[in-house]
Amino acid sequence: MSETKEKILKIKDLDITFKTTAGPVHAIRGVNIDLYKGETVAIVGESGSGKSVTMKAAMGILASNATVDSGSIEFTYTHADGSRETVDILTKDKKWIRKHINGKRIAMVFQDPMTSLDPTMTIGKQIMEGMIWHFKTPKKEAWDKAVELLKEVGISDAEKRMKNYPHQLSGGMRQRVVIAIALACNPDLLICDEPTTALDVTIQAKIIELIKRIQDERGISVIYITHDLGVVAKVADYVNVMYAGKIVEKGTIDEIFYDPRHPYTWGLLSAMPDLNTDDRRLYTIPGSPPNLLHEKTGDAFAPRNRYALEIDDKLEPPMFQVTDTHYAATWLLDERAPKVEMPAELKARIERMKEEAKKNGSEL
Amino acid sequence: MAVNYNAEPILTVKGLKQYFKVSSTFTVKAVDDVSFDIYPGETYGLVGESGSGKSTIGRSVIRLYDPTAGEIHFNGRDISGKLSKADNQALRTQMQMIFQDPMASLNPRKKVRDILGEGLDIHHLYKTKEERETIIKNILAKVGLAPEHAARYPHQFSGGQRQRVGIARALIMNPKLIIADECISALDVSIQAQVVNLMKDIQEETGLAYLFIAHDLSMVKYISDRIGVLHLGHLLETGTTDEIFANPVHPYTRSLLSAIPEPNPRVEKNRKSMTYDYATSGIDYNVGSYHSMGGQHQVFGTDEEIAKWTSEKF
Repeated sequence: MSETKEKILKIKDLDITFKTTAGPVHAIRGVNIDLYKGETVAIVGESGSGKSVTMKAAMGILASNATVDSGSIEFTYTHADGSRETVDILTKDKKWIRKHINGKRIAMVFQDPMTSLDPTMTIGKQIMEGMIWHFKTPKKEAWDKAVELLKEVGISDAEKRMKNYPHQLSGGMRQRVVIAIALACNPDLLICDEPTTALDVTIQAKIIELIKRIQDERGISVIYITHDLGVVAKVADYVNVMYAGKIVEKGTIDEIFYDPRHPYTWGLLSAMPDLNTDDRRLYTIPGSPPNLLHEKTGDAFAPRNRYALEIDDKLEPPMFQVTDTHYAATWLLDERAPKVEMPAELKARIERMKEEAKKNGSEL
Repeated sequence: MAVNYNAEPILTVKGLKQYFKVSSTFTVKAVDDVSFDIYPGETYGLVGESGSGKSTIGRSVIRLYDPTAGEIHFNGRDISGKLSKADNQALRTQMQMIFQDPMASLNPRKKVRDILGEGLDIHHLYKTKEERETIIKNILAKVGLAPEHAARYPHQFSGGQRQRVGIARALIMNPKLIIADECISALDVSIQAQVVNLMKDIQEETGLAYLFIAHDLSMVKYISDRIGVLHLGHLLETGTTDEIFANPVHPYTRSLLSAIPEPNPRVEKNRKSMTYDYATSGIDYNVGSYHSMGGQHQVFGTDEEIAKWTSEKF
């Protein structure tokens, strides 16, 4: 993290609706995200919470039935000569984004490497494609750079591998290739959409360590979209917790994991057993994620919230400030609200986590 | 729930081999000489990476495959060879399976009532229509669904509810053993916990046993009494959950455990996972024997390997 923080991405009051045959679906309801150079932001949430849609908007690859009702996505990038430029991606047309942003300045790593690679093209060609298209790199030079990249992402025998097709590689290898493709044009921002969900634990750990290493070496910013809090704990500097198209809690990694304030974050944290959980039952969030087709007044989380107050059904909670960096959208933080503590199981667990952190020599 | 390890095991698997002949020169040894027991009321977790043979074991045990070699005893019956009609009948009612993807494992053209009732119909487990309806209603209530859900189709449910239907379908036959093959992997985090709690409650109530197959180690640790670690079709290490997690011996187990991401940022940020590569490790899974580490804990390897691993600290 640099002293003077350069802002890379600023998503402001983003609001997106999808037109479907069943009626409009209000998928994103006022999302704000800031990302600085060299930092990692994680967006956590269940399926359908809108985390992928937000990032697709930033890439300009929203589905055709989506309309952006309001908001702006300001992306700042550095030209080759060092000058900086800020653009609002939402005001640009698809063609411009394709030429100037996609793959060149913002690159994306998708969940399933088998579907994101072209099965009829050698992996060498796929890595070189972006460089040749965006920068008109001579073929020989692109080839050499592709070999370099393969070595960088930890693939042995890089020259030989260049001529392989995706099906000749294992799942973990394929995801490494996808990362190499994403890095080919030296992007300022890397978006990883569930990059390890389709992979085994052992390989997952390797891929995450790889992304982290590359980030440290190149100083790029990374956005992680995931539902796995273990992954978040490993990589993120800042965490945004999304629910039903809204960010319900945001803060630094320590604030979210050691001092969560929103009942939904409590639920998420306690639903995933850590290795020391010996409680007989897991604390669960009752019910299931809401159907955004039927918009309800008040807090969207209220029906599943065992700490819901009367006002939750009438009025949507604003973002309450906890610290300079920590915000949560729950009426529990209002000064008029009754004092509610996080569930005892979670409290004990956080104490354990702190204890363990102390043993590891990084006390809070 | 305390499991009585002196009781007769509900399932005994001895030297199970499951080979798939791909061509005349190439045979895949998906499961190679695996032995384990499951006791009544116990949850046995099978873990390993994809391709380690954990799902194949589940499918061989419930006889979706014909085992190449080995013995499987279930509830006092030998179910490894050709099944007699009575054996088949007993196996099909007393052992049930829950699959990974509830959308793919429930017939989209059948109502929940008929999905659940199918087993009852086949085995003639009711006398009147009303009795069938009562059984279905009771089972729905047990898995936390409402009676009116019986008239719905699978697509009208959310993912978590669908998996509850999958569990209800397994439970309706009053099984003694349920094979749960990655049954929570396709669910959202908050829903996973609900389903796991439900499975635990049902076990408490009915005393059935689970063979829990998963790759999410933190969930396996939470639900299982004992664990078996599989790699490339070989059972490398088995023991109670505490024994395995407190004192993993085999390098593969150690690498697996070191890879589990923990939701504790301060610890997680400084941790490096261990690498294990069978090809370069110098370990041969075909030589060696099981060595007891005390209690239920057993590790597979040669004498020298075991001595070396136990001297290294994890």
